[in-house]
Amino acid sequence: MAEKRRIRVLMAKPGLDGHDRGAKVLSLGLRDEGMEVIYTGLRQTPEKIAQAAIQEDVDVVGLSCLSGAHRYLFPEVVAQLKARGADDVLIIGGGSIPAEDIAFLKEKGVSAIFGPGTFIREVASYIRENVKSK
Amino acid sequence: MSGNDKLEEIRRRRKEWQEKTLGQALERLGISESPNRFYTPLDLDRHDFLEKVGFPGEYPFTSGIYPANITFQMMAEGSAAVVRGGDYGGYGTPEDTRDYYEYMASRGRFGGPNIAFDLPTQCGYDSDDPNARGEVGRTGVAIDTLRDFEVLYEAFVGDNDLDKIASAFTINAPANIIIAMYVALAEKRGIPSNRLRGTPQNDILKELVARGTYIFPPRPSMRMTRDTITYCTEHIPRMNWISVCGYHMREAGATATQVIAFTFANAIAYVQTGIDAGLDVDDFVPRLSFLVMGGSMDFFTEIARARAARRMWAGIMKERFSAKNPRSWIMREPTGGANIGRFNLTSQRPLNNLTRSVIGGVMSSLSGGPPYGGGPYDEPLGLGHSLEALQLQMDAIRIMECECKLGHVLDPFAGSYFVESLTDQVEEEAWREIEKIDAMGGAVAAIETGYMQREIAKIAYRYQREIESGERIIVGINRFVGENELEVTTGRLMEHPYDPKKRADAEEKQIRNLAQVKGERDNR
Repeated sequence: MAEKRRIRVLMAKPGLDGHDRGAKVLSLGLRDEGMEVIYTGLRQTPEKIAQAAIQEDVDVVGLSCLSGAHRYLFPEVVAQLKARGADDVLIIGGGSIPAEDIAFLKEKGVSAIFGPGTFIREVASYIRENVKSK
Repeated sequence: MSGNDKLEEIRRRRKEWQEKTLGQALERLGISESPNRFYTPLDLDRHDFLEKVGFPGEYPFTSGIYPANITFQMMAEGSAAVVRGGDYGGYGTPEDTRDYYEYMASRGRFGGPNIAFDLPTQCGYDSDDPNARGEVGRTGVAIDTLRDFEVLYEAFVGDNDLDKIASAFTINAPANIIIAMYVALAEKRGIPSNRLRGTPQNDILKELVARGTYIFPPRPSMRMTRDTITYCTEHIPRMNWISVCGYHMREAGATATQVIAFTFANAIAYVQTGIDAGLDVDDFVPRLSFLVMGGSMDFFTEIARARAARRMWAGIMKERFSAKNPRSWIMREPTGGANIGRFNLTSQRPLNNLTRSVIGGVMSSLSGGPPYGGGPYDEPLGLGHSLEALQLQMDAIRIMECECKLGHVLDPFAGSYFVESLTDQVEEEAWREIEKIDAMGGAVAAIETGYMQREIAKIAYRYQREIESGERIIVGINRFVGENELEVTTGRLMEHPYDPKKRADAEEKQIRNLAQVKGERDNR
């Protein structure tokens, strides 16, 4: 049996928000959960994130935003990925996302939102259960 | 009995107590180790009050930077001779923020503004830049041109004109541009720059370490800081040219000792920049200010941290930089004490944050500051607080001050065997870290190699692991979450006066404002 491919995750900071504690902690945590994680660093446009996701052939894109711009930025990443034919990528998000925005983001194609207080293992098992196998 | 004999006697009695009194109790409880500790004069050997603590407002300032702390009540009544920027706020277009300031003034808010800027402004983008999409007017107000500043400051005229208030600008990389706008606005109103008061945050090094709103790399950024120092010192002598921040590094994960060391390493780099520009240290350091170092819920460590930090900064200025003016020795920070950072607040059972905030206020007061604690309890629920949360936060301060009489004694832990020894310990650890950064070539070098960033990320990850393993307990997050626990939430009776519709429309409106300025200006 061929060795199972490790799940590849792109952790991204769309927009101008510079609070990256969550993105960094989750990157390290998912690495220790056995996934391959690429962190984009700060200030990425949705286009750049979509390009990186395709170039790195990732299974998951994790978006983190604490500036309140998630209502524009997250759906835009989804749209940019779709425009490039990458509609099999699991997209999850986190940050300062008010409860009332979660339904809106899900409607726009973000599969799940993980707010403050989430455990790394919750995110990891969500990814394992929902990633589309390649 | 001589002092030594007394210590010997205490040592003997402590041994006896451990073996008999404590030993028996532990046996009864069926445990081998006591869950508590007790401190005695043995833990504070050779403590010298004048050297280690001193009187409030005198070197080494452990007990406080001022001989008398003004009370919140005095500030609210305007009876204290102090002018400061008011509460942090701002959103949407300059028109929206002007209206918000006017509304808050009608509700009794006093003083000048502490302007919250949106991220495009903080990162140097115009509102019509593609990189600004979705961000305009979100975390604060959008300021593209002087026109925007003129509109915003329509809320501050007459008795609140620029020569009567102090303005705080919570902005870093473009701080020089904002100061220039303030001076230009004052000029238009016929107010000379030497009558202006204020504090730009202007602490670019911590942006590079922790908060991320930088534009240029460290060294070119420091040239801009040099220009702020020299310009303000000559032309705006009452402008605090910087607010050196520990807060954001703490929020990103730094420990109590790291936050002292990194903040002071950064501050040392700024002071050296001013000296290298040819200024005398006592000409510009009295206008260097600090922003609270944030803090954990670790009650005594944070009190020790605040006390140690004041003493260390005094030492750095007096010994390392040979400053002569006592004003150069004091660690000036608006709230002046221990404090709890917002990272302690949880979105689960948010009312618990009120409890956390009150404890932060007690910590602050017991460390020599006013009883200002953490943020309003609904901080983690999204940008902008409800008016109820603000009211509760304000009332908490009033209760602590007026009913509990916190603040009536300065530095009440002075002389405590425990807190003094903990203060010494925190100080020693922080010095070791500063020495390490010195050996790397100072803060700028330590940031260029990513040292501070890495260390902070390491601690942040460790903290999360500790929560997940249960080693670190956060109530309502990893413990006390059983099925009989109530997930107490709260309805917000009154939303924050930031108008959600205005905030949603701000980007489009501000791009129109900018287009109009660009179309009408002479571009000379």
